[in-house]
Amino acid sequence: MKIKRFRGLVAALLAVTAVVIPGATSASAATELTFWSWRTEDKAFYENQIKLFQAKNPDITVKFTPYLNTEYNAILATALTAGKGPDIIQMRPYGGMSNLSDAGNFMPLTAAEVPALKKLPAGILAAAQGYKDKKQYGLPYAVSALGIMYNPDILEQSGVRALPQTWAQLMEAFNKVKKAGFLPIGNAGGNGPALEQLHATIGPTFYGGTSFFNDVVAGKKAFTDKAYVASLKAVADIAKYMPANYQGIDYNTMRGLFANEKAAFYIGGNYEIGYFRSLNPSLNIGWFPAPKANAGAKRYVGTWADGSYAINAKTANKAAALKFLNFLGTKEFGQALVDEIAFIPTAPYVKINDQAVKEINRWRTTLGTPFLNVVGFRYESPTSSSILQPGFQKLIVGGTTPEQLAKDVQTAVASWYAPQKGKS
Amino acid sequence: MASALKRDQQRAIGALLTPALIIIVVFTTIPALTTLSYAFFGWEGFKRTTFVGFENFQLLFQYPYLDQFKAALKHNTIAFVVIMAFQTSIGLLLAYAMFRVKRGLRFYRVVVFLPVIFSLVVVGYLWQALLDPYYGPINQILTGIGFPELAKPWLGDTATALPSLMFINLWRWVGFPAIVFLAGLNAINQEFLEAARIDGASEGQIFRKVIFPLLAPSLTIITVLTFIGAYEWFDLPFVLGGSNGSPAGSTDTLALMFYRLSFGSIDSGANNVGVGSALGVLIFTLVGLGAALGSNLLRRREVEQ
Repeated sequence: MKIKRFRGLVAALLAVTAVVIPGATSASAATELTFWSWRTEDKAFYENQIKLFQAKNPDITVKFTPYLNTEYNAILATALTAGKGPDIIQMRPYGGMSNLSDAGNFMPLTAAEVPALKKLPAGILAAAQGYKDKKQYGLPYAVSALGIMYNPDILEQSGVRALPQTWAQLMEAFNKVKKAGFLPIGNAGGNGPALEQLHATIGPTFYGGTSFFNDVVAGKKAFTDKAYVASLKAVADIAKYMPANYQGIDYNTMRGLFANEKAAFYIGGNYEIGYFRSLNPSLNIGWFPAPKANAGAKRYVGTWADGSYAINAKTANKAAALKFLNFLGTKEFGQALVDEIAFIPTAPYVKINDQAVKEINRWRTTLGTPFLNVVGFRYESPTSSSILQPGFQKLIVGGTTPEQLAKDVQTAVASWYAPQKGKS
Repeated sequence: MASALKRDQQRAIGALLTPALIIIVVFTTIPALTTLSYAFFGWEGFKRTTFVGFENFQLLFQYPYLDQFKAALKHNTIAFVVIMAFQTSIGLLLAYAMFRVKRGLRFYRVVVFLPVIFSLVVVGYLWQALLDPYYGPINQILTGIGFPELAKPWLGDTATALPSLMFINLWRWVGFPAIVFLAGLNAINQEFLEAARIDGASEGQIFRKVIFPLLAPSLTIITVLTFIGAYEWFDLPFVLGGSNGSPAGSTDTLALMFYRLSFGSIDSGANNVGVGSALGVLIFTLVGLGAALGSNLLRRREVEQ
C-alpha cells in the first residue's frame, strides 16, 4: 500500500517535470512574447496574424490571451501592479487605462522606434497618451463612430420612403414603423452603457457637438447648460419607442431585436455591425448619421479611438516586443483588421473595402465630434459616465429629470476636473 | 512527567498550526492591514502618492459616493433581513420535512442541495434567460394564463430587480441552511423527543419547545454566515446587474461599490483606490463587529443538550 502510494508520487513528480522542463529549454531557443486583450471574439483573427508574424520572425513566438471584456481591466491592473503582466497589451482608450499609464506601467513609445505613429492624426494619438505626462504609450488601431443603423426592408414595408434628416422626421418614421407592426428601435434600458452610447449618438446635435465639447473641457460651459439638458431630454423622449418592458431588456436581447428583424432601427456604434451579422448573416443593414435637432442645428457623428497596443514597461523582451508592435502597425495588419473584423482603421493608408464601413467612415470624417464622456471625462472618479449610465436608466422611467441628471453630472465632474471646479 | 507531555503536545499543536497561521497572515492579515493603510493615502490610478489622513473617508461621505453608499447599505440590509426571514425559515422547514420523511431522504437531500453546487454564473444566466422580458418563459406563462399585467421586466425595473435577486439567491442557497439544520436535527438526542412524546406533547409543541431550542447552535451559524454573506453580497448582483448595480443602481451593494471604486468599471472608467480602500475598511469593520457581536449574543441563548 505504502509503496504503491510512493510510486504514484514519483509518477506525479515525473509528470510535472516533464511538463515544466521543455518550457524551460525552449525559452532559450525563441523569445516568447505574451499578448493580452479583451477581445475574446477576435481570438482566431489574432492567432492567424501571429502566424504570419512568426513566419517572418521565427525567433519570436507570441501567445495571445484574451480575457472577459468586463474583467480585463481588473486582471490587467492586478498583474501590472504586481510587476507582472504580458509583454504586449491591448490598451483601452483615453481615461480607460490612463491610470495605469500614469503609474508607469507602459513603455513610452517614440516615432523613431514605432514609425507608424507618425502617420496618425493628433486626435487619434491622444487616445493612447498619459493623462498627466501626455507621453505616447500606445499605438491606436481603430476608431469607432456612432450613428443610426436601419433595416431597409422594414422601412419599405412601413412606408418610410426617405431617411430622417431631422428629429421630427425621425419621430415620424418611428410612428410609421410602429403602425406597421414593427418595433421602432431595438434599443432598450437594461444596459446603462448602451443608453450612454444612444445619448452620445443623438445628443450632440442638441448640445452643439464639438464647440460644446471644447467649452466644457475648457470650463467655459457646464453640463447644466440648457442645450445639454435638452440632449438628455431627447433620450427620455425616445424611451416611448423602445420595446415593451424596455427597462429589463439586456444588451444582447436589444441587439438581437434588430439583428432578427423585429426592430427597424438601432442607435449605436459601428462595432455592432459585426455582431448583427454574426447573428443574422443575411441581414440588410443601412447606416445614417443622427438627424439634426431642428432645421437650424448641425448633424454630428460621435467618434473616438477604440483602443491601442502598448508594451509593458517591465518587459524583458523589449526588442522583440517592439518588433511585434511594429508588425501591428503595418499596412497589411491594418488591412486585415478592416477586412476581417470590419473595424474602422486609424491609419489613413488602409483601404476600406466593406461598403457599410466605408459609408460610416465617410460621415465620420465630415461630421465627427468627440464622444464627450469617453474623450473628455473618464480620467478620474467619479466620471461623467458613472453618473450618466445609471442616471439614464432612471431618466427613461421617470425616476429623475433631465435637469437633475445634468446637475448630478456637473457636481461629479466638478469634484475632480480643475476647469469645472466651483461651477454648477 | 505530565507537564512534559503537555509541553510536547503543545509543541505538536504549535507545529500543526503554523502552516495555517502563515497562510492566514500572508493572505488575510497582511492584505487587510495593507488595505487599511491604502485608505489613508492619495492615489493616482494605481500609484500611491502622499499621506492624506482621513480625506478618503471624507470623500466617501460626499456626493456621489455618499448616495451610492447609503443605497448600497440599504440594499445589503434588506438582503440580510429578507434572506434571514425567508431563506432560513424555508431551509428549516425543508430540513424538518427531510428529518421526518420516511423514505427517499437521499433523493430529497440531493434535490434540495443541488442548486448550491451549481456555478453561480450559470445560475445567473439561467435566471436572466427565464426572467427576460421579451423572450423569457416566466412572462410568457404569466401572459398565457391570463395575467399579462404581472409580466414585468423583473431584472430591469428598479422596484423588482432587488426582490428578483433575493428570490434567485433563495433558490440557489436554501439547500445550505437546510443541510445544516438537518445535521443539527440528527444530532439531537432522540431521548428528548421520546420523553416529550411520552409526556403527551404534540408535534408542534415538540418542535417549538424541544427541537427549536436545541437547534440554536445551527441557527447561530446560519445567522452569522447569512449576515456576512448579505453584507458582502457580490457574485449574484455582479452577474445580473454588472458592477454598477443596474438598473439605476437599484441592485448596488457595498461589495460592488468597493469593486467599482478600487478597480474601476470598464464601462464608466476611472477608479479611486483610496476611497475604495476607505470603503473596504468600513465594510470590514461593519461585518467584523456585526458578526462578533451577533455570534456572542446568539451563543448566550444556546442550550446544552
